[in-house]
Amino acid sequence: MDLINQNLLTLLILLPVIGAFALVGHQMFWKKEEHLKWVTLFITLAIFLLSLLLLTGSSTASSAGFFFEQNVPWIQAINTNYHVGVDGLSLWLVILTTFIMPIAVLSTWHAVEKRPLAFYVFLLLLQSAMVGVFVSLDLLVFYLFFEASLVPMFFLIGIWGGANRIYAAVKFFIFTAFGSLLMLAAIISLYYLHMQATGVGSFDFVTILNSLQTGALSFAPQTGMLLFLAFALAFSIKVPLFPFHTWLPDAHTEAPTAGSVILAAVLLKMGTYGLMRFNFPLFPDASRELAWIFIILAIIGIIYGALVAMVQPDIKRLVAYSSVAHMGFVILGMFSFTEWGMQGALYQMLNHGISTGALFLLVGFIYERRHTREIGQFGGLAIVMPVYATFFVITAMSSIGLPFLNGFVGEFLIMVGMWKSTVLGITTTVNWNYVATMLAGTGVIFAAVYLLWMIQRVFFGRVTNEKNRALTDLSYREIGLMIPLLFLMVFMGVYPKPFLDRSRESVVAIQERVVRQAGGTIEQAQVPTR
Amino acid sequence: MQLADPNVNIPIILPELIVAVAGVVVMLFDCFFPRRRGITGAMSLIGLAIAAVVLGMMWSTDSGVPAAAWGGMIVHDSLRLSFSFVFLLVSALTVLISTIWVDQEDVPAGEYHALLLFATFGMMLMASGNDLVVIFLGLETLSIATYVMAGLRKSDLRSNESSMKYFILGSLASAFLLYGMALTYGATGSTNLTEIAARVGDPNFPALLLAGAAMMIVGFGFKIAAAPFHVWTPDVYEGAPSPITGFMATGPKAAAFASLVRVFILGFPIAAGAQAAGYLQESWITAVAIMAILTMTVGNVAAIMQDNVKRMLAYSSISHAGYALVGFLGAGMAASAEARDVAVAAVAFYLLTYAVTNLGAFAIITLLGQRNDRRTEFEDFNGIGFKSPLLSFSLSLFMLSLLGLPLTAGFIGKVLVFRPALEAGNTLLTIVVVAAVINTAISAYYYLRLIVVMFFKERTTDWPVPRLTPAFSAVLIITVLAVFYLGIFGNGVIDKFSQPATSTASR
Repeated sequence: MDLINQNLLTLLILLPVIGAFALVGHQMFWKKEEHLKWVTLFITLAIFLLSLLLLTGSSTASSAGFFFEQNVPWIQAINTNYHVGVDGLSLWLVILTTFIMPIAVLSTWHAVEKRPLAFYVFLLLLQSAMVGVFVSLDLLVFYLFFEASLVPMFFLIGIWGGANRIYAAVKFFIFTAFGSLLMLAAIISLYYLHMQATGVGSFDFVTILNSLQTGALSFAPQTGMLLFLAFALAFSIKVPLFPFHTWLPDAHTEAPTAGSVILAAVLLKMGTYGLMRFNFPLFPDASRELAWIFIILAIIGIIYGALVAMVQPDIKRLVAYSSVAHMGFVILGMFSFTEWGMQGALYQMLNHGISTGALFLLVGFIYERRHTREIGQFGGLAIVMPVYATFFVITAMSSIGLPFLNGFVGEFLIMVGMWKSTVLGITTTVNWNYVATMLAGTGVIFAAVYLLWMIQRVFFGRVTNEKNRALTDLSYREIGLMIPLLFLMVFMGVYPKPFLDRSRESVVAIQERVVRQAGGTIEQAQVPTR
Repeated sequence: MQLADPNVNIPIILPELIVAVAGVVVMLFDCFFPRRRGITGAMSLIGLAIAAVVLGMMWSTDSGVPAAAWGGMIVHDSLRLSFSFVFLLVSALTVLISTIWVDQEDVPAGEYHALLLFATFGMMLMASGNDLVVIFLGLETLSIATYVMAGLRKSDLRSNESSMKYFILGSLASAFLLYGMALTYGATGSTNLTEIAARVGDPNFPALLLAGAAMMIVGFGFKIAAAPFHVWTPDVYEGAPSPITGFMATGPKAAAFASLVRVFILGFPIAAGAQAAGYLQESWITAVAIMAILTMTVGNVAAIMQDNVKRMLAYSSISHAGYALVGFLGAGMAASAEARDVAVAAVAFYLLTYAVTNLGAFAIITLLGQRNDRRTEFEDFNGIGFKSPLLSFSLSLFMLSLLGLPLTAGFIGKVLVFRPALEAGNTLLTIVVVAAVINTAISAYYYLRLIVVMFFKERTTDWPVPRLTPAFSAVLIITVLAVFYLGIFGNGVIDKFSQPATSTASR
């Protein structure tokens, strides 16, 4: 047990890779393609159960609020270490990743007929990279996983995607790679700034943070700003923040269902996670000073995403654009620099993962049956597929933010956080924070409009298209894989406390780091520990 | 006039000697027993392996090999050791890759293997020579052998063109180099780099030295295929038989880098307090920085437009010379001798990663290209992904490594060469690094294109799955493992490369 606990994060990263090898071995010796999905399901479920052990962790044993920490030298010539650990910020994102994987695998049961072996291998490799992103505390190792996650997704879209898949896959890869390469330059610069200031170069996030907090390392305002922007660009593309969002609708629409689910649920979170984990603590001054840009872009994203979603004829594209709007909310909450807003942002990341992931699954179900996703092809589905319609409506409500469902908690916290924020200017006549909140609030209304309108056209009324009359309702497998998601939507909407409690300390630590310096009193505190 | 003590020392040139002797033996064997392809290949491999073992023994600090011998013409330091190791690896892999080609097209194998060994001998001399004359000798031995190898496909017009172009332009470049060396000799009164290094600090700095340095940059620039001296590359690379192209893109390029480092980093150091040498350094740093930006950009932009995989890789090799130049510039601007040695080791490591990756790619292209390299257009790779998953996934891995994606050798190589350039804290070098980063993003497009055609497109015509020979499998295993090994556990190799065998600083 101790052995597992000490190496838990490494196990979570390595097990999918080992699983991938096992799949290849299985196929080589048994040649039973129909076993592959069962093996993959078993592997991902086992990893999910293992990841629940993370909940038993506490930071008392180690430094800087991280637990399950591991720090092993990797390439000594450049002083980079394999340093991993989780805290309240990454804990739920790791579990979200491991939780969504078995569901994604289940969703492919009949959908992937072409080259199942390669499909599941890429899926598992992707999982490994995603977990790696959320737990690595060495900047170079983080970059490594951040980039490594591109390759499996590139193949998933490119091989198993829709008609326009090549364009979408290449666009996805190049957009993201471009942003992250600038981040790499910033990471290497950080190494040297640390070397100049302290004599020892470091890629280690905790070390750099400590040097910043003790004052051993400080950035000239200009330098801090540039580094902040280099990091932020990489993450903004990943989120994606308006105007860097154009890769997303293409990638989502062309990706196979499992790919879309993972893309929405986890990959987009890497961007927001990165902003919160690295940008805020490392460059608090620049974060504050440039917050207005991100708030404006987030609001544009919220409204623009919603308006574009409204006119989409394709259900999947509609959901994709709704992602742009939802992630705008997350950015807004983060940049309010209030505990409410930031906690809400983190909570909304999980919500978006669950509800949008579920929406993509539901779109996938209907696509498997009808091989079209055009809203105009449907109508009156509630009569033919009552269970499906029920699930769809609940999920949409969660996405809209109906009270007692999870989306409400996140959006409410974000709005309150923004309202209370002081990050934007307050003049005698206008409090711009209020303005921002109100503008964002319209996004909630728009979300209701495009989703409800789509539901009305697809599910209600009479069956207009004869082809839809023969559709079968959800199978037990499909119901089974939706149940955990629906349960979480309700549970997280009614009782958010366990989630928020666990993340609170880490989020507050980041928030205080950004805000404290604003008051001009730079406290020479260590990284807050529990 | 008194002759200096020649200080003859056989052990110091033992690796070079072994390779040269192996070349002669192969050539003689071929005279008496012609057409024994397997045997001459095996003999070359054995020769290279023995040389590598001897080289490895010399690596330990107590090997008893002096720091310099032969009147200071040959030196023994980490630069020489690490680069020689790269050359031996490149040649051994080339021998293995060539087996396919040699068998398919009935190549005069004995001559070919002998030429390859002589070329290797030349490359090793370029890395260990501490005298302009020795470096030039090495370069010519290498070049002449390579001219012939490029034209080995005698009945093929493209191969002839390739050889001819390479010969004419290469001779021109050699002339430039030699003229530059002569001018340097005129300015400093010596061809020995240690003595030149001592004399560039002389306040009576002759403008002749500046002209000499400029000419040498042109000469070496041609050999590493740096823009604007790169125009020969695509035609020569496309026309030469694929295994030779792989060799030319990795071996001679690395050798020219070894000499470049030897002459410019160690030969023209920043002499403390000497205004003159500082001026010299400043001028060549600026020139090379501009060359590096140009090289990366031209290589990448042109590579995007290619429809032939070999041409694409030719342009990609141009851009990789640019990335390596970034590390070279970092070494040139290094603040201390230690930082300089680390940067030099980074360049060597980068060229090692590039060599294994590129040779792996060329091995697969040789195999897929079939007789006379017929199938080297992008279209020929359409949809072969799952028809031959082993080859296609390996080729994809090599492309991702060339792109510099994490967990592959290329990533660590890139980080290592960008690092010293950023460390210098010089605005010009920072611009160079930013250009390199942007170029890397551009390069994603054409490296991915090969993956796209292999996996995402459908095959329309019949495609026989090529048969894997043992030699080819060995190449594949070595290169794939090396790409992962250098990318994940590269630490040991980097340490080895930067650890001074006999301290360079003490010379």
